[in-house]
Amino acid sequence: MPAASMPPAPTSAGDPISEFFASLAAPGYIETFAGESATLRFDVSSGSKMQHWYLTISDGHVTVTRDNDPADAIVKIERPHLEDIVRGRLNAQAAMLRQVLAVEGSMAALMMFQRCLPGPRGSTGRVAPISSQTVMAQRRPM
Amino acid sequence: MSDQLVQILEGNTFVVSNDCGDIEASRTDPTGLFSFDTRFLSRWVLTVNGQRLTALSTDDLQYFQTRFFLVPGSGTVYVDAKLSVIRQRDVADGFREELRILNHESKPVDLTIRIEAASDFADLFEVKDALKKKGSYDTKVADGNLVLSYRRESYTRETWISSTAPAQLDEHGLTFAITVPPHGEWSTELDVVASAGAEDGSTSGPIGIRGDGHRHVRQDMARGLEKWLRRAPSVECDWEAVEHIYRRCMTDLAALRFSTLTLPGRALPAAGLPWFMTIFGRDSIFTSLQALPFTSELASTTLMALAERQGTRIDDFRDEDPGRILHEMRYGEMTAFEERPHSPYYGNADATALYVVLLDEYERWTGDTKLVRDLERAARAALNWIDEYADLQGNGYVSYQRRNAKTGLENQCWKDSWDSISYRNGDLPGFPRATCELQGYAYDAKVRGARLARHVWKDTALADRLEKEAADLKRRFNRDFWVEDGEYFAVAIDCDGRQVDSLTSNIGHLLWSGIVDKSKAKSIARHLLGPRLFSGWGVRTLAEGEARYNPIGYHVGTVWPFDNSFIAWGLRRYGFRDEAAAIMAGIMEAAEIFDGRLPEAFGGYQRSSTMYPVQYPTACSPQAWSTGAPLMLLRTGLGLEPQGDKLIVDPALPLRMGNLELLDLPGRWKHIDAFGRGRVDTDRFTRR
Repeated sequence: MPAASMPPAPTSAGDPISEFFASLAAPGYIETFAGESATLRFDVSSGSKMQHWYLTISDGHVTVTRDNDPADAIVKIERPHLEDIVRGRLNAQAAMLRQVLAVEGSMAALMMFQRCLPGPRGSTGRVAPISSQTVMAQRRPM
Repeated sequence: MSDQLVQILEGNTFVVSNDCGDIEASRTDPTGLFSFDTRFLSRWVLTVNGQRLTALSTDDLQYFQTRFFLVPGSGTVYVDAKLSVIRQRDVADGFREELRILNHESKPVDLTIRIEAASDFADLFEVKDALKKKGSYDTKVADGNLVLSYRRESYTRETWISSTAPAQLDEHGLTFAITVPPHGEWSTELDVVASAGAEDGSTSGPIGIRGDGHRHVRQDMARGLEKWLRRAPSVECDWEAVEHIYRRCMTDLAALRFSTLTLPGRALPAAGLPWFMTIFGRDSIFTSLQALPFTSELASTTLMALAERQGTRIDDFRDEDPGRILHEMRYGEMTAFEERPHSPYYGNADATALYVVLLDEYERWTGDTKLVRDLERAARAALNWIDEYADLQGNGYVSYQRRNAKTGLENQCWKDSWDSISYRNGDLPGFPRATCELQGYAYDAKVRGARLARHVWKDTALADRLEKEAADLKRRFNRDFWVEDGEYFAVAIDCDGRQVDSLTSNIGHLLWSGIVDKSKAKSIARHLLGPRLFSGWGVRTLAEGEARYNPIGYHVGTVWPFDNSFIAWGLRRYGFRDEAAAIMAGIMEAAEIFDGRLPEAFGGYQRSSTMYPVQYPTACSPQAWSTGAPLMLLRTGLGLEPQGDKLIVDPALPLRMGNLELLDLPGRWKHIDAFGRGRVDTDRFTRR
């Protein structure tokens, strides 16, 4: 089973957030964003410190800057949570429901952005078959 | 649940209360005010001078509005009618309740009106499974509001309660000490707002729940409903019940409309009231297909919303793969903390192929090639999923097996209960399972995908490949699934490549998909209308005579209106006009008995033995695809088929229908009227 067509997960060396955004910008074009255009600004807070990443998606072409400019979607999040998200430890939609990730502006832009996030590390897409005998043993008879 | 009422906004906010309008939730009594899968009120009890009230009448004015006429006293023998109490409740971002007290005496009366309020902020999953909460509660009185709140880490949910008349607020409710003049009246408006907490100061919370806790602006729901009904085609029929059924269906569909934050102002069909007011891939697609001749908006929104959430990665907890279309989306606490996989959960094996089917059918009706181009990436990814991720056994068939063994779904086809797929002798197959209708959907997706590739995406190579694959799949399927000694298709191929050989309604979906060889179709139609499958009302999910057959078993003997509507379409596709009309007659007659609102399923008892269809006890009504069933039957009865810029009308209607007219059918032909006269004597099928 082939891996999903997405950028490689960042390595743990260095800052995972910087590496994640760098990995988005490096190829210049990301297939999963084909036909899509939006701007997203990530306001990442760590104590009193605030960092910005500004993502421009233009028909699949991706650029990343550190600008603090207006964007279609402004994503507010604390650093540890975003680290978890880019490492596949926290699901972005769940993070939003849990209120550790807040969005101002276009929800659709955030939804689209989520396509490039990695899945959980241990997920293989595979599972061992289960025999009819096992199923019958687990289930009560008729 | 029998005396409970359900109200709903065209979102996922709803109230379930008793016939007095009171809410007293308990483990066995799932009443409350719910929004985004969370209960915001578990207690809402009105008393007058400490006395509970009795309902004289309860009127559902609209699907979002109910009026309760009450009198003090709970005695069943005698009610003191010196006072009347009228509660009128409108559901919006919570609810607004107008409370009026009428004094029928010629002297003033002093009263203490009390509303008890509380909330357990339970997740719908917790309501179902009676689980314990992990966060903490708080109650405060602030600026004329009673605020009930729940907090777990940063997850916050609040209920804001206020009134227009001055009230004494305490942590358990509101008290009004009032005097009502002789033959006079006192009234107040109570406002209950479901909120996601105000701390970030935003006007909308993270999931669409309001974040400011302030009074909401009441939407003009009534006008919205009127507009929806006015825009819909009209139906005229000599059999008057048909007009009533149609109106009921369109009104229920309006109530089931659900908007997402990413597509504001647009609506898709949620699966069912009240517990399934959310996006379900399969249900939203099937309902959109059923409703297409009458409204295409549900289909276009469904297609867009599902594309936005299409799978992009391997996630075993959510059974997600790239290209897979979601199964179910939820917004409650357990989903937020990843204790449930519904953010969204992807465990179905049919919605991805059905997605392509809907996209093509939508284009055939509307001519909206722009959307087909906009969704090209999603449709290609869906087609890719069928080959790349769904062939779990490497045998060229779509199979399913959950990777989330704890909270994932075992059966990832529409018959999703544990015992729905069985051998004749009642044994259950292992996993993975390749059920037959999944192969039909995959075949149809390839055929339709090829059409879109050729005519819209201008990709001849893809079109050629898909057509070749479809032909190959059809050839293999007719060989491998055909049960020789029964002359029908096996319900599944098991993990050892063996046929799961019971006779089921699934074979009807195969006709709809077109995967059945012409030479085998007659035998399939004979089974569908034969004594083992056809009850006289409709086709049973599992045939009489199979070991697990039970006329009131959820997927093992009951008749599902939605299932039958697609079977009827399939019969028409293969030219079985009388048989399709018989199903139309049976299901429409059942709909008449159910006052226009078909249940999810009803008993598979022989029609002649019970006279009336026996409703399967289910908590959800209306159910979207049951609501859509009569719509699709009107389509199949009139034989409506888009062909280029024309709509073909080729009626094969039950005799009893008389004249049937569908006026102003929207589509690529702008608007068209369709007429038919009932000529098929269906009694030979239905009256036995």
